[in-house]
Amino acid sequence: MTHITQTPPTSAIRARGLTKVYGSGEAAVHALRGVDVDVATGAFTAIMGPSGSGKSTLLHLLAGLDGATAGGVWLGETELTALGDTALTRLRRDRVGFVFQQFNLLPMFTAEQNITLPLEIAGRPLDRAWFDTLVSTLGLGDRLDHRPSELSGGQQQRVAIARALVTRPDVVFADEPTGNLDSRAGAQVLSFLRTSVRELGRTIVMVTHDPSAAAYADRVLLLADGLIAGDIADPTPESVLAGLDALRALDEVH
Amino acid sequence: MLRLTLAQMRRSIGRLAAAGIAIMIGAAFVAATLLSGEVLTRTTYDAAASQYGDADLVITQATLADSDLAALAAVDGVQAVQPLDTGGADLTGPGGHAWVTVAGRADDPRLDAVSATDGSLPAADDEIALPERVADQLGVGIGDQVQSTVQSWAADATQPTDHLSTLRVVGLVDAPSAFLSDGGVAVVTKSVAHDWLALSWGGQDVTYWSASVTLAPGTSTADATTRISQLLDGTGTLVRTRDEQAAANAAELSGSTWALTGVVLGFAAVALLVASLVIANTFQVLVAQRTRTLALLRCVGAERRQLQRGVLIEATLLGLATSAAGVLLGIGLVQATLTVLGDTTDVPLPSTITMTPAVVLVPLLVGTLVTVLASLAPARAATRVAPLAALRPADTSVHQRSGRVRAWLAGVLVVVGAGGLALGMAVATAMSMPLGLVVGMLGGTLSFVGVMVGAVFWVPGLLARLGRLGGRSAAARLAAANAVRNPRRVATTSGALFIGVTLVAMMSTGAASVTRTFTSELNSHYPVDVVLESVAMDSDGNPALPSDLVDEVSAVDGVAASAVVQQAVGLTVTGPDGDQTSVDVYAGDATALAGVLNDADQAAALGDGTILLGESDAASLGVGVGDRVPVTGPDGVLDLEVTATDSAMAMVTTSTLAGLDHGAPASDLWLALAPGADPTSAVTDIQDITGAETDVVVQVIGLAVERAFFQRVVDTLLAVVVGLLGVAVVIAMVGVTNTLSLSVLERRRESATLRAIGMTRAQLRSSLAIEGLLVALVGTLVGALLGIVYGWIGAQILLSEVTSVALAVPWRDLGLVLLVAVAAGLLASVLPARSATRTPPVEALASE
Repeated sequence: MTHITQTPPTSAIRARGLTKVYGSGEAAVHALRGVDVDVATGAFTAIMGPSGSGKSTLLHLLAGLDGATAGGVWLGETELTALGDTALTRLRRDRVGFVFQQFNLLPMFTAEQNITLPLEIAGRPLDRAWFDTLVSTLGLGDRLDHRPSELSGGQQQRVAIARALVTRPDVVFADEPTGNLDSRAGAQVLSFLRTSVRELGRTIVMVTHDPSAAAYADRVLLLADGLIAGDIADPTPESVLAGLDALRALDEVH
Repeated sequence: MLRLTLAQMRRSIGRLAAAGIAIMIGAAFVAATLLSGEVLTRTTYDAAASQYGDADLVITQATLADSDLAALAAVDGVQAVQPLDTGGADLTGPGGHAWVTVAGRADDPRLDAVSATDGSLPAADDEIALPERVADQLGVGIGDQVQSTVQSWAADATQPTDHLSTLRVVGLVDAPSAFLSDGGVAVVTKSVAHDWLALSWGGQDVTYWSASVTLAPGTSTADATTRISQLLDGTGTLVRTRDEQAAANAAELSGSTWALTGVVLGFAAVALLVASLVIANTFQVLVAQRTRTLALLRCVGAERRQLQRGVLIEATLLGLATSAAGVLLGIGLVQATLTVLGDTTDVPLPSTITMTPAVVLVPLLVGTLVTVLASLAPARAATRVAPLAALRPADTSVHQRSGRVRAWLAGVLVVVGAGGLALGMAVATAMSMPLGLVVGMLGGTLSFVGVMVGAVFWVPGLLARLGRLGGRSAAARLAAANAVRNPRRVATTSGALFIGVTLVAMMSTGAASVTRTFTSELNSHYPVDVVLESVAMDSDGNPALPSDLVDEVSAVDGVAASAVVQQAVGLTVTGPDGDQTSVDVYAGDATALAGVLNDADQAAALGDGTILLGESDAASLGVGVGDRVPVTGPDGVLDLEVTATDSAMAMVTTSTLAGLDHGAPASDLWLALAPGADPTSAVTDIQDITGAETDVVVQVIGLAVERAFFQRVVDTLLAVVVGLLGVAVVIAMVGVTNTLSLSVLERRRESATLRAIGMTRAQLRSSLAIEGLLVALVGTLVGALLGIVYGWIGAQILLSEVTSVALAVPWRDLGLVLLVAVAAGLLASVLPARSATRTPPVEALASE
């Protein structure tokens, strides 16, 4: 194993010995049991696993939303696990983007206001050219004046993606981004995420339980019982399914 | 269903409790008001009873001669009779003189209304017992002597005759509440009291209006009453027991007691109205939050009626619990007040409260009723939850369009109300003030209700506009957007505050306008601060001021200037049409008068060859400023120019008067008090000086005191009213906090999202602070503005008969209200902000 201070320049995010325990004593739940992960810059990574495998917890810890019980997370050169709340908040504001399952748009703001909200919070000026690129890439041009309640689920999630990308973050974390969408809208959102990586040079980490969604990624990490249980490069729906089946078979042996 | 309702209540206990505070305060207000009414009535009763000592029977509306008293005493079973009519005497001691009410000793000690606190009651005809305050005033103690003066008027006399005697002080007596307003009652023997009363009757036989009676042990009260009534048959005399009589006396007074209670209950109603808005809001939010549960219940077969009943039961339980707490609070407050007052003042208040069923039941019922009524609309909303809502994702964004009917209603009410106000002013000026007041009040109420009904339209717009002033920062923009996202809720919240603030602003604006109007009015009514008028005669039979008095009085602390004034009685002024009128003219040195006159215009108008006339004299003569009138006095006729027609009295300069009546006595001393001097203490000091003058009587007329008293009455009334209305404002503030925390609860996911995408805790906190501030400011600003308008119109109507009204804005009071609103708005955001910033950003990712 390499020494932890030697960060490979191609790693956008790195975790070593990541452990998370909820509760204590007999009721303790070991969500993560020492996970090592490297996410490459400019890649679209999917994290998969059965429910209870710890995939959501891993996302929370990688994104600096929750503290680890042990181990460390690095975003580029910054050790997240050493930061306080305000520093973490700043980091999320400036270097991380989020896409949520429930979209989480603010209902009283228009699509445009929702997209530019992170910049407003940071007090940073809007890069008009970047904004226009995002809007045209995501096909939101004629929807900017609409409020979330006037948008379809797929449109709302595209607004959410634009909001996550508007600050040009180092990493975008997406938590089941297609969980609330029908398959057509879901496919659209996923191809937008892949476009963001391939054409706009972003780094995306996505948690999903849908093998066909995971197949849009460059790489799939399989998680089981709080440990990395598989790593599939250039996945297809079939290879992902096969990996999951292998996990299940492993489970049944236990 | 009941079990479910209770379980739901338990889950939202915090929210309910917060809203319950509003009802609790309202119920406490009602309970305290009713209790205070009871205390007042009881105090009145005790005061009425105290003058009868321990009498068994009281005879009133009688015409009892001495012989009747003797006959009464001889009635079978009657032990003693004591006439209740009191006389009076002027007492002089080394410290000065004082006029006291005098009562005689009773044959039966049980009939003595007062008892000795020190020494004893008089036993001999040269003895007297004094109330402590009177003894202090005269500068005497037990064993010292006082001189009494009783005046009698012979049938054909033009002057009273003084009857002097010297008495020894043998005791000090307490002052029972019945005699408090007279400063207590002095006690002499029965015969002396009778003699003095006879003197004041001018030699006629004394008859008494009322008497108290004690009965021999074992005598039946009813039998004795019958016998006495038979004796006094046919004279319309009333014979009652002491308690009956006291109750009858108290009833006469307590009419006003209950009127007062009624007015205060009106303020309690305002507080309860505001509380009902808070409750309505809370239940609306609770129902909205429970949409999923309610829909689920509908899915598993609950009927609409059952859901509605659930909300109503919840409201009833909440109303009962919080009203009960309110009653306890009210009782506690009144008892605490009584305890504190009992220790610090000598007002005879009962030491404990008297509980009546009404004190408990009325607030309990009213509080519960208000809560249930306020929850009716939310209960109906609960029935409108479709079973399908259980299957839809929760959507907290509510964007109701408010009905066109509401807009029309609000518009019509405002327009008609404004018309009523205008009409009220016109009617008050042209026809009669009371009618105008009624029309104006009706118009005011209508327009106010209209503004309230329309709140849902103007509150959001105003909030958005105010929010833009808050700056372009993310926190401010978020606050503004959040504040208006539920127009109806924010309208109710702001509306609750708006009611209280409007009424406070109206009252203080009205009071300020009345005060300012009267300040100019008072300057002509009370031209000088203090007037000393000598009633003593010098050797020529003219009233004169003792020469050393001027110097002594001028040296009194607070006296800034003085002017000796001559008074010429009965000079004749002839008008242009030949009308003549007899006028008393005052004259002084022009410079000295300028120093004491309150109205600078009058002082400037005074010069040699001019005369200032009073309004009525000028009107009856038909003269105006600039006219010349011949004035005739014993020493000649002068043609004088009228330079003022609004003076309180006719005034000329000394040199002018010399040509009319050069011998007019210098009988008055006019004084000006230094600005800021306490008129009461200055006048008391002056009275001490004049009281010590034993050979002349100088009447001190403290116009400044009267004026200060007037000002104090207005200030006190205003403070009381504002205090009472303040309760409504406090309740509204509870509402702002409650609405804000409910909204924050609803926005948990949003708060978490904001934190996840990089909003710091401080930014989130300041956003909520700005939101609280905006909501509080909108209600306050509009309330203050509307209050000023109502206050002005009210003052205009009330004073329409008096004079032209000077409108005033009570900037200090309004500033204070605004400050309180700002502070409360910020404070209201503290608790919600704590819970919002504690929301971990992970919650944004939670799926439910």
